[in-house]
Amino acid sequence: MIRLPGDNSEPGKVRSALLALLVHAVFLALLVFGLNWKNEASEAMSVDLWADLPRHSGKTLPPVERAAPKPEPVKPQPQSQPRSQQKPQSQPQPVIKVAPPPARKPDIALKDKAEKPQPEEEVKKPEPVKKEVPKEKEKPVRKPAEKPVLREEARKPEPKVEPKPEPVKKEAPKTEPVKKVEQKIENKDDARQKADAQKQAQQQASEAAAAQAKANGEIDKYKAMIQAKIRSRIIMPPDLPGDPFVEFSVTLLPGGDVLAVTLRKSSGYTVFDEAVERAIYLAKPLPLPPDSGLFNAFRNLDLKVYYRE
Amino acid sequence: MSKAITQDLSFFHLVGSASLPVQLVMLLLLLASFVSWWFIFRKLFTLRQEIKQTDEFEGIFWRGSDLNALYQRAANARHAVGSMERIFEAGFREFTKYQSGVDIGPIMDSTRGAMRAVYQREMDRLESHLSFLATVGSVSPYVGLFGTVWGIMNAFRELSNVGQATIAHVAPGIAEALIATAMGLFAAIPAVIAYNRYASDTAQLATRYESFIEEVSNVLQRRVAKPRDTANFS
Repeated sequence: MIRLPGDNSEPGKVRSALLALLVHAVFLALLVFGLNWKNEASEAMSVDLWADLPRHSGKTLPPVERAAPKPEPVKPQPQSQPRSQQKPQSQPQPVIKVAPPPARKPDIALKDKAEKPQPEEEVKKPEPVKKEVPKEKEKPVRKPAEKPVLREEARKPEPKVEPKPEPVKKEAPKTEPVKKVEQKIENKDDARQKADAQKQAQQQASEAAAAQAKANGEIDKYKAMIQAKIRSRIIMPPDLPGDPFVEFSVTLLPGGDVLAVTLRKSSGYTVFDEAVERAIYLAKPLPLPPDSGLFNAFRNLDLKVYYRE
Repeated sequence: MSKAITQDLSFFHLVGSASLPVQLVMLLLLLASFVSWWFIFRKLFTLRQEIKQTDEFEGIFWRGSDLNALYQRAANARHAVGSMERIFEAGFREFTKYQSGVDIGPIMDSTRGAMRAVYQREMDRLESHLSFLATVGSVSPYVGLFGTVWGIMNAFRELSNVGQATIAHVAPGIAEALIATAMGLFAAIPAVIAYNRYASDTAQLATRYESFIEEVSNVLQRRVAKPRDTANFS
């Protein structure tokens, strides 16, 4: 007879199990979706932060696109045809040499202006050399190393032709140097990045040093303030001989509360010791720097108080 | 910087990164919650059916149907009848065994005894699993709390290793630990509600059965007395 009622509720078992599963699935979904909202919000915030990084890649990408069109305007067409795609990398240096002859001073002036923001040391070095040494001597010396003879021949006529139009076409030389500068940028991107990194490291180091110095100054300032505040609360016992001093070790809480005061070195006069101890408690909250990072310097404070100031 | 902000706070990540005791607590609570919900639904169906059958049988019984016919019906369809019908069936069977003219006292005693026995068994069946619901309801918050305390302990212990403490260091640990409490409460609240509800339903049924037993014994007693009177007179 006992089994019979069991038969009765048998169909309910499976149904109940399914319903129980359903309830838990709903609960789980609630939890998961409830927390997912927060996740999405934080992702949106992280997008803002990522915006810093792409700038570097954005700088390097466009120059690559410019690299292709540049060689054509700078040099005669015959030259651009024989060149392979690899040239743009090696070209920039010959290009630099070609351009300066037609208009030395304007070029250099422009380059200097353009290069000031950029930390390129290598780029500037070749320029002074160009100013001193005649143009034609430079080319033969340097080009052979990098490029075939064809180009040299093609370039030599150029400088001769260009000097004449120089006064007439002021715009051409101006635009060229800009492009050259850009090309240099591409080539020396690595160098620049290294230089950037170095600069950043230096900056960080100097900033850290400055911050350290500033922090130390801050700490000293506030220690003096604490000292002064405690001193102002001391009710000095009258007529002690000499200039006794007492040393206390004060444990502080963030916020300036005094957690514990322990006597490290007695002055020999209990009255004076007690007066100072009372004053330390009276002086709380002690002044602390607003920057909570500096609190560690104040956690255990050694205090030395003289009877006479 | 971006790491701290984009820290994965999704539910599964939190559960996955919890420490072993906390995970065990969560597993235990999930199990307890599942079983208690299973019992909740089972009891719901059983009690509903029971109340319906009891109502039905009471209606038929008090409409003055023939007791023999009722007994036949109950004996034939044992699987589909409610507790009250079963009680009646046991009592009436016991009653018919005696009808050879014994003294009325022992007949009624054993009839009532048979009905009591079935009543006890039925009540036992109805109350089964209720104690489990009560246990889950009272204990699982504590179990969840234990998981939470453990998780928060760990969170703070890790915090002590970090030089500069920010809320970001403790937040994931506490969030993870609080899931244990949430699960404990999720298991406990329905269990307590269901326990109270089912306990009162069962108690109501129990009083109905008890009064029914008394009434049936009265009816049967009258039935014994009547034939005897007529036999004496005739």
